[in-house]
Amino acid sequence: MWTFRESLICSLLFGSAFGFLGNGDTFRRKVSLELNPGLKPPSSLPPGAVLVHARGLGLNDTLHFLLCNRGAPALLLVHTNSTESAVRLDWPEFINRSSSGSLRVEPESSVTYSSALVFTRLWEYDDVNNTADPQKTAESSFYPPYELQNFIWSDLNGTVNQSDHMITLCGREKSESFLNGSLCLKFSVFESAGREQAWPSLLHNGNSSQLRVWLEGVTPRGNDSRFALEFQSVGDSGFQGRVDVRSSIDDEYTPSIFKVSQWVSFPLNSSGAWGFSQWKPVAYRKPEPVFEDATPCRHSPLVSVSRVPPSALVRAYFRDDLQIHGLNISFGIDKDPVFYSDTRYVSWTVLIGMGEPPADAFSTLIIIIIAVGLGTPLAIIIVGGVFVWVRKRVTHGSVYEPIN
Amino acid sequence: MADGEEYQSLVDDEDDGDDDVSRHLSPLCDPRHLLHRVLVLLFMCFLGFGSYFCYDNPAALQTQVIQDMSLNTASFMQLYAWYSWPNVILCFLGGFLLDRVFGIRLGTIIFSLFVLLGQIIFAAGALANHFWLMNLGRFVFGIGGESLAVAQNTYAVNWFKGKELNLVFGLQLSMARLGSTVNMNVIGWVYGRIQAMTGSAGHTTLGITLMIAASTCLFSLICALVLGFLDRRAEKILKKEQGKTGEVIKLTDVKDFPFSLWLIFIVCVAYYVAIFPFIGLGQVFFIEKFSFTTVQARAINSVVYIISAPASPLLGFLVDKTGRNILWVMLAVVTTLLSHMMLAFTFWNPWIAMCLLGLSYSLLACALWPMVAFVVPEHQLGTAYGFMQSIQNLGLAIMSMAAGSILDNKGYLFLEVFFIACLCCEYIDNISCLTSRRR
Repeated sequence: MWTFRESLICSLLFGSAFGFLGNGDTFRRKVSLELNPGLKPPSSLPPGAVLVHARGLGLNDTLHFLLCNRGAPALLLVHTNSTESAVRLDWPEFINRSSSGSLRVEPESSVTYSSALVFTRLWEYDDVNNTADPQKTAESSFYPPYELQNFIWSDLNGTVNQSDHMITLCGREKSESFLNGSLCLKFSVFESAGREQAWPSLLHNGNSSQLRVWLEGVTPRGNDSRFALEFQSVGDSGFQGRVDVRSSIDDEYTPSIFKVSQWVSFPLNSSGAWGFSQWKPVAYRKPEPVFEDATPCRHSPLVSVSRVPPSALVRAYFRDDLQIHGLNISFGIDKDPVFYSDTRYVSWTVLIGMGEPPADAFSTLIIIIIAVGLGTPLAIIIVGGVFVWVRKRVTHGSVYEPIN
Repeated sequence: MADGEEYQSLVDDEDDGDDDVSRHLSPLCDPRHLLHRVLVLLFMCFLGFGSYFCYDNPAALQTQVIQDMSLNTASFMQLYAWYSWPNVILCFLGGFLLDRVFGIRLGTIIFSLFVLLGQIIFAAGALANHFWLMNLGRFVFGIGGESLAVAQNTYAVNWFKGKELNLVFGLQLSMARLGSTVNMNVIGWVYGRIQAMTGSAGHTTLGITLMIAASTCLFSLICALVLGFLDRRAEKILKKEQGKTGEVIKLTDVKDFPFSLWLIFIVCVAYYVAIFPFIGLGQVFFIEKFSFTTVQARAINSVVYIISAPASPLLGFLVDKTGRNILWVMLAVVTTLLSHMMLAFTFWNPWIAMCLLGLSYSLLACALWPMVAFVVPEHQLGTAYGFMQSIQNLGLAIMSMAAGSILDNKGYLFLEVFFIACLCCEYIDNISCLTSRRR
């Protein structure tokens, strides 16, 4: 009983401390969104292709996010310790060859950290044994993957939301499977700490942006088809990556999900994270999910990749000496009765940012309920105990009085 | 149990003639003898077997029912809703009818008939491929099922009050669990065999399977008849009148129920709310929080019931020996609270918490239900048990919905905290129970 109470008190104290920290995270950035910065005729991107620049201005630093779907869709994060830093694009060069140096963040000396996340492939496999684990699936069960660099993207009309700092890109392959289907990326940048209403309601802060990926209406090539998304992280060679899975007892923001996975990159000589991709191992099978529409997902081990991913953004920004790692996220769980063909929808969300990944804390409501719920009986026991003890003493006194 | 005490069994005022009769009877046939009571207990236990077996038929055949009748999960759940919701009122009425109109013997037989009839309609609905008929079957089944449980409780008190009552309640609970466990394990296999025999799966296969399940209800009906005969015989031999005390019972007697009975009702609702909805919603919790496989999750989820089958008679025996039901109930509440806290706030192996939960659930069930008999006069017992069952049904129905929506919106931690809060309320209630009895 004691250990329980102690651990509870501890968790209460910590919870509230963290809770206040979380609520008190007042760090803000001034965010502005720009499409194709500096692009003037006669230069023009192919139809559907776009380069989004989100600039987050802090007190003494600037965080640049660049999202581009020329080639495989990629998100580039560049942090500078100057408030004056700017993105410079050599558009003709970028459009034609995307050669290294056609995209720069200046002044280059102010850049402290940069990394990119590239979505390269969409795998589809026939899950005959219903394990939902591509690692355990025979190679023959895999269909040819959809290469995201070959996707055709729809024009951005109406999908830019300047006030919310959100942009949605949707693309499709030329094959019949994508006749009524599309793969979409919703990119959001945040000014300050908070959560999205929609699950998984990841906690974000001013140092992060979020990508929601969904696959809608695609005709699967088999009845038991499941999908997996391959993505790669590109960074400077002075960094190394690691995927941690953290467990928490708290699932109040993402019901039934008790884990958070974070792919952190940290310098070779220290362990503090400089950049991260963070996600909860859950995907949703409906656009507006209820509890039953959640399905667990699984990530494969990190592998080192030697080929530079086919993204214009990565080729144009990074010099040689790169660290490239890749992993797959697969959707579904062992013996999951629901396949992609049942709902034709799956969505997954990842948070990308710099610094340490944000950590969840107990909400104030839950702390109050625990405190009241457990405090009342405890108080009653104590008061009752004291009362009984006092009464016993009084009656004992009266009983023994005559003898004395 | 001392022998002298046993002889008070069903006789409050001794008659001279009784001794003559008992001299000619073997212990097995002598209503005053322990051996005879064991025989009665056997029939009493199997009285509920059929209804417990058939109650969970839909759950055990979930995929088959959904496929054969082409349903979705929501309409499948109607099968349970049609059982539960009417019972909020009906088993209260059933208890009243037991006390007032039919008497226990006829009442039990009638309710057993309802159970059998309901299951047959249910099966016929599957045979004819009419889902509404299946719902009707569940409704009729429900009318009998819950009231039968009330009758079972009343029988137990009539025969065992002042003796092995807690043990008997424990045994009945373990029979209930046995019924559902046997069903869960057997009925799928039966379906498979019939499918192999008829060559194809379909609503006919389902119908035949359910008809076979109805045989357990027939068995229970036979038990009801035998029990009625034995009870009448005991009454004749012991010259005890069946539930007639000269007092007229009215439905409005409910408002005159002693305060402590209301407290018992609250304990009952608050406790079961923290058990059944959790087990119903628990599978995903074990998969996600403790990385269990689906099979492991199903196993740990059913461990509460599996433990309660052997544990409840043992714990009932313990409670019989020591008395002090309220303290045992309190202990059960505290250990349940502990196990919920383990599940909510730690990553300790959940088998510990679930086994503890199973033990405390059995302890509570066999200590709580007999308490009713201590605070209510015998002629109101049926009404009181019926009312308790009604309130339990109502509480469970409402709280299951509440628990579902808490889970949907706030997740498992919040749900666990909600259960913990329920148990804390119950603990407070328990303390007032204790103090009100002391007065």
